[in-house]
Amino acid sequence: MLKNYIKTAYKVFLRRKFFTFISLFAISFTLIVLMVATSLFDHVFGAMPPEKNLDRMLGVYRMSMSGGEGERRSTRSGLVGYGLLDRYCRDLPFVEKTSFFTAPNSIPAYHNGEKLKLFFKRTDGAFWQIMDFNFIEGAPFTEEDDKNRNFVAVINEATRKKFFGEASAVGKSIAVDGQNFRVVGVVGNVPVLRVLSFSDVWAPVSTAKSDGYKKEFVENFMGVFLARSKDDFPAIKEEFSARLTQVELPDKQFNRLEGQAETVLEGIGSLFISEGTGGGPSQFILAALIAALLFMLLPTINLININVSRIMERASEVGVRKAFGASSLTLVWQFVIENVLLSLVGGAIGFIGSYLVLQMIARSGFIPYADFHFNYRIFLYGFCMAVFFGLLSGVYPAWKMSRLHPVQALQGGTR
Amino acid sequence: MIKHLIKLVWNRKRFNFLITLEILVSFLVLFVVMMFVAYYANNYRQPLGFEYENVWNINIDVKQESDDYFTPEQQALTRQLFNTVKDLPEVESVASALSVPYQSSGSFSSEEHNGKNIEYERGEVTSDFQTVLKLNVVAGRWFNKDDDAANFRPVVINRNLTEAMFGNEDPVGKVFGSEGEGRKESRVVGVVSDFRKQGELAGAGNFLFTRKNLNDPKERPPRNLVIRLRPGVPAEFESQLNDKLQAVAKNWSFEIQPLVNLRESLFRLQLIPVVVLGIIAAFLMIMVALGLTGVLWQSVTQRRKEIGLRRAKGATAARIKNQILGELLVIATFGLLIGILLVVQFPLLDVIGFISAKIYLYSILAAALTIYLLTILCGLYPSWLATKVQPAEALHYE
Repeated sequence: MLKNYIKTAYKVFLRRKFFTFISLFAISFTLIVLMVATSLFDHVFGAMPPEKNLDRMLGVYRMSMSGGEGERRSTRSGLVGYGLLDRYCRDLPFVEKTSFFTAPNSIPAYHNGEKLKLFFKRTDGAFWQIMDFNFIEGAPFTEEDDKNRNFVAVINEATRKKFFGEASAVGKSIAVDGQNFRVVGVVGNVPVLRVLSFSDVWAPVSTAKSDGYKKEFVENFMGVFLARSKDDFPAIKEEFSARLTQVELPDKQFNRLEGQAETVLEGIGSLFISEGTGGGPSQFILAALIAALLFMLLPTINLININVSRIMERASEVGVRKAFGASSLTLVWQFVIENVLLSLVGGAIGFIGSYLVLQMIARSGFIPYADFHFNYRIFLYGFCMAVFFGLLSGVYPAWKMSRLHPVQALQGGTR
Repeated sequence: MIKHLIKLVWNRKRFNFLITLEILVSFLVLFVVMMFVAYYANNYRQPLGFEYENVWNINIDVKQESDDYFTPEQQALTRQLFNTVKDLPEVESVASALSVPYQSSGSFSSEEHNGKNIEYERGEVTSDFQTVLKLNVVAGRWFNKDDDAANFRPVVINRNLTEAMFGNEDPVGKVFGSEGEGRKESRVVGVVSDFRKQGELAGAGNFLFTRKNLNDPKERPPRNLVIRLRPGVPAEFESQLNDKLQAVAKNWSFEIQPLVNLRESLFRLQLIPVVVLGIIAAFLMIMVALGLTGVLWQSVTQRRKEIGLRRAKGATAARIKNQILGELLVIATFGLLIGILLVVQFPLLDVIGFISAKIYLYSILAAALTIYLLTILCGLYPSWLATKVQPAEALHYE
């Protein structure tokens, strides 16, 4: 039966090519937009190298200190300070590895009088064990390097090219931010969307120009905890919050500390949905879904509209089938299948289209080192979207058609 | 005529309902895009209030996040940096600033006035700030050396803030707000035409300058030095400047950036959402146009009988064409009316404060006009097709 439906659908699509073109245009365009959005989302939140353990990671990204009342109230908020992390977050339970590192700082470097804009991140040794970087040459620096304040650095491929051309970089030295580092490793470029690992140059935390960072509670550090498994998250979060209440604040001016251990999705989600101390990530995803549905509204109406008028054209076919005893359900089924088929063809075009769009975004340089490639997740999302879209836009016209009276239909249509 | 068209449309209400809905949603999408475009275009036309060519910013990173506390050493070192830069032959003038144009960070305050909360951005600047950025003083004067000895705290405000605080009165010499209990009172000494720190695309805001004295031990050291270069200084000067600064303060870091670059990256940041939205909206409209053409085409084929009958009774081709287009315009108007009714609710509910009524009205008009153009464009081919229907067809159909 299905084979028959497919055959009929194929003939119908070929009969009025203009309509098929419009439908395919609408479907593939809608899916391109949705798929590009989804794959950008996946590139930020998906677990892939270097952050391949992302789904086992909790982190502390934001901290705020406040004190005083009413008019005199003052707040300082930002990323976390190393002092707080070092003193209170070293030995959380259920945590396999702990790493502290700065957010990437944009710093200028000058090479042969030319300005190079580089991102610079200071990390500890554990960072390289938690993250899975692709080393092109050399190796990461270690805990020892950090402890002994060795001026060593790992750079990415793009930075190697800027400083040394195509030559090997390990063992050579680079001047960054008025300091000299010996390159120990070169890694593949990390996309800027990887919020935890992205940078151009990575150096030990201890090489900071002054050791003022050791005292700070709110500064520009992040802390990441690699849990044994996802199931331990609640326990770790609880322990972290409990410890936060016992922190002795260094400054008399402040008496309250706010922050939490959270996943990257929770952290970024709550940036958009503020005051979300409760269901941050679920609200964020809900908002994204609503936005996607709103966006799909117009294409859906458009497609329903086209389908409704196309169906009138096939009134005589419906009449014949009804006269020979086909039930309404069978007819609805047939037309929904036809529509889903069309959506899948549109989906295939959408895949190619979104691949091209993503390549364009990557090449435009808006997102440095963007490296988009489809994975099975994106493929699955895209397939579901195409089927969903097909159902959404196919059910109403099919239902409307199935209700045609056979006699009227045979006569050649209704109003 | 119109009454008759409405009746025709009403007779096919099930079919026309979907088209109306499509036009309604398209209108809403277009309206949002038009509003962004109108908002930015209107802002772009307003004067900027400063000149950014040949101006560089030096951001000083003292390796300490907060500037609430500081040491006398930090102050002395900052003064030394200031003087080093000032003495360079390439530099025309230099000033310190809390935050610089085209930078998103800034310090904001608010002031109660006549029961209304007026928010404004603050800039702490040294006296030469006006020369560096070529601010345009329209009333009173800019800061000068005599202010050191004044028994009040001099402030300069922009025109927008003047209007908000003092209305049409002359603000020069007036006390500004209740700021600084225990400290000296603030008094307005001058008004600048404007200072739109967020650049050409951002809306007009309120701005207040206070004077910074680098020699005052109670004042925090600035984190930005803005310099105006003499014309013709090459770009390589940047790395030389960096070396000189680094030699003075070894443990600090510097980020030197021409304002032209800051401007470009801010522009990009502000425009990307609009461009993305615009591209998506454009494709949506192409899709709607194609869909509508298809639907109308189909409907004309279906109504051959009716059209043929009219032709047989002597209607000219032009009248048939007018009927099809007329019906379409009635449907479009109907969808637009619902859309406008919906859209008008927002300013009534006072949801979007920063968009003025004028821009709102323009966007509604522009969106409605585009919808009319679009529907007429879609109706052209189907209505032409309708004129080709032969009267004989109507008779031979049954």
